[in-house]
This record gives sequence, C-alpha cells and structure tokens, in this order.
Amino acid sequence: MRPDFYILSWNDLLVSLLFIAFSIFLIKKWKLGLENTLLVGTLRTFVQLTLMGYVLTWFFDQQHWAFMLTLLFIMIVIASYEGTRRQKNDIPHFFPAMLAALLGSAVLILGTILLFILDVEPWYSPYAAIPIGGMIIGNGLNSTALTANRFVSELKHREKEIETLLALGATPKLAVYDSMKASIHAALIPNINAMMTVGLVQLPGVMTGQILAGIDPIIAVRYQIMIMYMWFTTATLANMIMLAIVYRQFFTKKLQLRRELLREKA
Amino acid sequence: MSKTTLFSFSEVGLDIENSRILKGLNFEIHRGEFVAVIGASGAGKSSLLRMFNALASPSSGHIFFRESPVETDIMSLRKNVGVLFQNPVVFNGTVKENLVIAGRWDVNIAQTLDHELTTALHQVGLDNIKLDQNARDLSGGEQQRLALARTLLNHPQVLLLDEPTSNLDPKLARAIMDQIEKLRESLDLTIIAVSHDHTLMRRYVKRVLVLSQGEIIADGSFKSLDKTNIFEEAGLLKDDDET
Repeated sequence: MRPDFYILSWNDLLVSLLFIAFSIFLIKKWKLGLENTLLVGTLRTFVQLTLMGYVLTWFFDQQHWAFMLTLLFIMIVIASYEGTRRQKNDIPHFFPAMLAALLGSAVLILGTILLFILDVEPWYSPYAAIPIGGMIIGNGLNSTALTANRFVSELKHREKEIETLLALGATPKLAVYDSMKASIHAALIPNINAMMTVGLVQLPGVMTGQILAGIDPIIAVRYQIMIMYMWFTTATLANMIMLAIVYRQFFTKKLQLRRELLREKA
Repeated sequence: MSKTTLFSFSEVGLDIENSRILKGLNFEIHRGEFVAVIGASGAGKSSLLRMFNALASPSSGHIFFRESPVETDIMSLRKNVGVLFQNPVVFNGTVKENLVIAGRWDVNIAQTLDHELTTALHQVGLDNIKLDQNARDLSGGEQQRLALARTLLNHPQVLLLDEPTSNLDPKLARAIMDQIEKLRESLDLTIIAVSHDHTLMRRYVKRVLVLSQGEIIADGSFKSLDKTNIFEEAGLLKDDDET
C-alpha cells in the first residue's frame, strides 16, 4: 500500500545531522578547512527555515490579500538587495533595476498562475501565492544577478567594439546588443538544458517533495511541468527587464560609453 | 574662396578623474584640410580626437561642428565624422558582415549591393579579398583597410585617424597613408590624424597642431615649425626619419 505521508519528526531531523557529521569527517580528512563555515551554515539553515516555517504558518492563517502582497514585496526587496550585493562591479541604480525586474516578473507570472492556471480561490490564498512567489523571486534573483555580472564582463571585453559601433552611428542599445545577447544566452541555456534532461537524469525538488508528501505522481509531474515553464519565463522576463534598465546606466545622455565604470576598482 | 569652418573649439578643457587632460584649446578645422595633431604619449591626443565625434565631451568650453554644438545631433555627427582607431575592431564574421555592420540600424547600408562593397574594398586597396572570407583571417594591414572601408560606407565628411599606422611596419604604414591621401582628394574628405610619428605625418599634412601636456603649443606647417625647437619641447625627436 502506498503511504499517504512520510511525516518527518524533529527526532528524524536530528538523524539527518549525520549527513553533516559525515561531511565534516570528509572535510577534515582532506584538510579543506571548511568545518566552521559548514557548522555556521548548518545552524543557519536550521534556524532560518524553522523560523520561516512559523512565519509561514502565521501568514497562512491571516487570509488577507494585504498580508500576502506585503510578504511578497518584502521578499522582492530582500532579493533585490541580495542581487545588488552579489555584483562584482558598481552598476549605478542596480537596486531599482532588480526591484523592477523581480516585481515585473512576479506580478505577471504569479498573477497568471494564480488567476488562470491554478484558479486559486481566493486569489491571494497564501498556500499557493507564497511558495510559488518565492520560487519566482528566488529564480529571478539567481538568474539576474549572474546575468548582470556577465553583462559587465562582456562590456569590458567588448569596449572597443562598442565604441566602434557608436562611432559608426549606432544607438547605445544597438552598440551593446551583442553583449546583452551573450549574457542572456549564458543565463537561459542552463534553463533550457534543464528542460531537456528533466525526468531523464534528475527528479526535480518540487516533484520529489510532493511525492514524498503523498501526492499522486501524475499530479506532481503536472506541477513540475508548470514550474519548469514558469522558471524559464521568469529568467527570460526578469533578465530582459533588468538589462533594459542596466545597459542605459553605462551611457551618458550624450550617447557616450561610461568607460570609467568598466575599469577595475583599485 | 573663403575657407569653410567645420570644427571650432572654444576654450575646451577635459578633466578625467581629477586630472587635467586638456586645457584651453582654441582652434578651427576647415573643410578639406589634412591636419595632424602630434605629441608625445600622454599628451592628450587620443582624448582630443574622441571629442570630434562626441565619444567624449569637454569638461569646459564648447565644440561646434558646422556652427552647431556637437551635441545637437550626435547620431548624425557620428555618421558625418568617421573614425579609424589605432587597433581597428574586426567583428566575428565575414568581410561582408563587417562592412555592412551599420546595416543593423541603417537601411541604406543594409541594402548595399555586393558589387558596391567590392568597389569599397577596391577603394582602400583591398583587391584580392573576397566578401565571404573570414575577416579575422586578414592580416593587420588588411584589417586596418577593411575598417577604413567600413567607415567610408557611411560617406563621412570628416575622417579621424587615431594612430592609424602605429602597429604596422613603415612600408605598410606609408602605403596606407598614401591610400588615405588619395581618398581625401577623391572623396573631398577633411582628415584629422593624431600621431606621435611626425616623420610620417609630414609627408601628408599641411598643418600640424603640436600638443604637449594637454595644451596646443604650436599650430602651423611643418616647414615653419622646423625652424623652431617646438618638436623637442613637445618631447618628440626631430631626427627619427627612418625612410
């Protein structure tokens, strides 16, 4: 008989610490010097996620659209801050660019999922909005942070190319088009590759979690398919919004490349 | 016939990150001139050249092109004022793709026919190059000529040369400069070249601006300036003629 639930108790969770103990054993054996960092990471994972569990439980009890929107907005602000922190280069106005990218993709994609795909009633039900919103924001954050770093590397690498195009009469957007294209390609190709191999060489986390929680695999698969499509669209949309704002920061009003932004910081 | 002023610099200065690169520049460039801006490394030559097509703007003073401030219509200014950089950029792709790269935004260039492109290559002395050849397989001198042909397809009125021959051997450098001089006459171009090589430049230009530590310290013909010690003052050796 198929079990409906595999309940994970606190005691069970303590047993999972054996994984960490085993990792520490391996790390020590290879003298990698990562034990302390790993211990902090282990503790933070436990504390942050446990707290998040309680926060979510509280939020799920609220059943009010304002709570849901506030939580999502806070998540977007934190993600935008984190994305800004991850930049190796100074990109002027990167925080608002991230905010716009994540807000834009969350509104469009989460809105479509809640209203037209899952037909959630009421639309602000936190059981759907918060986990799916979290996935959209998290995925958008990872993708845009990487793309922005790659974009600046492309600009540095193609500085002369960009100035040649400007000198031939290109608009700034056309002058950096190849840089934008290369950085978006780099961001989207892993997503496309994941779509190619999903189910063949890996079972994604959401689907695995749902199956473990007792959901019919056929339904779990449908969720996963929707999530794969959602991930790709989030990455595409968030990157395009972010780049549309960011590339402008590298030009003056007189259509000149701000070369000082491409120099390594002393 | 009175000379038509193309560029007019008025008290132009340039500061980059708190250091003064150019100061108090006042001069005019007239239609049809072939002017050389010469000076030692770090004299501010390239920074000055970048201001002619608004790739850089002055921190103080004003630059006028045909009596309008250069910022009035930057896109049209850049089409009118072509530039050949020291190390020309050759894009990944064929010779044809390189020539018509401006076709991405300019319909006229996008519609250029193959025989017109071949003519453009012939114009810069590239006779044995095929349009479908990989542009990055060309030699340094050929890439320089290809970049020149690409710039000329915009039909510029002015051509800026940024040390155009500094990476080429003297013979090749002469050949390219001869070609440019021919083009100046046939296309009625105004040419402004920056160079540290006054030996080469003196063969072609009638007027030279000598730049030293961001200032123009002389403006005249080589012949008149040879009587002074201005070249030594600018940090340029007088007797480095190797040809």
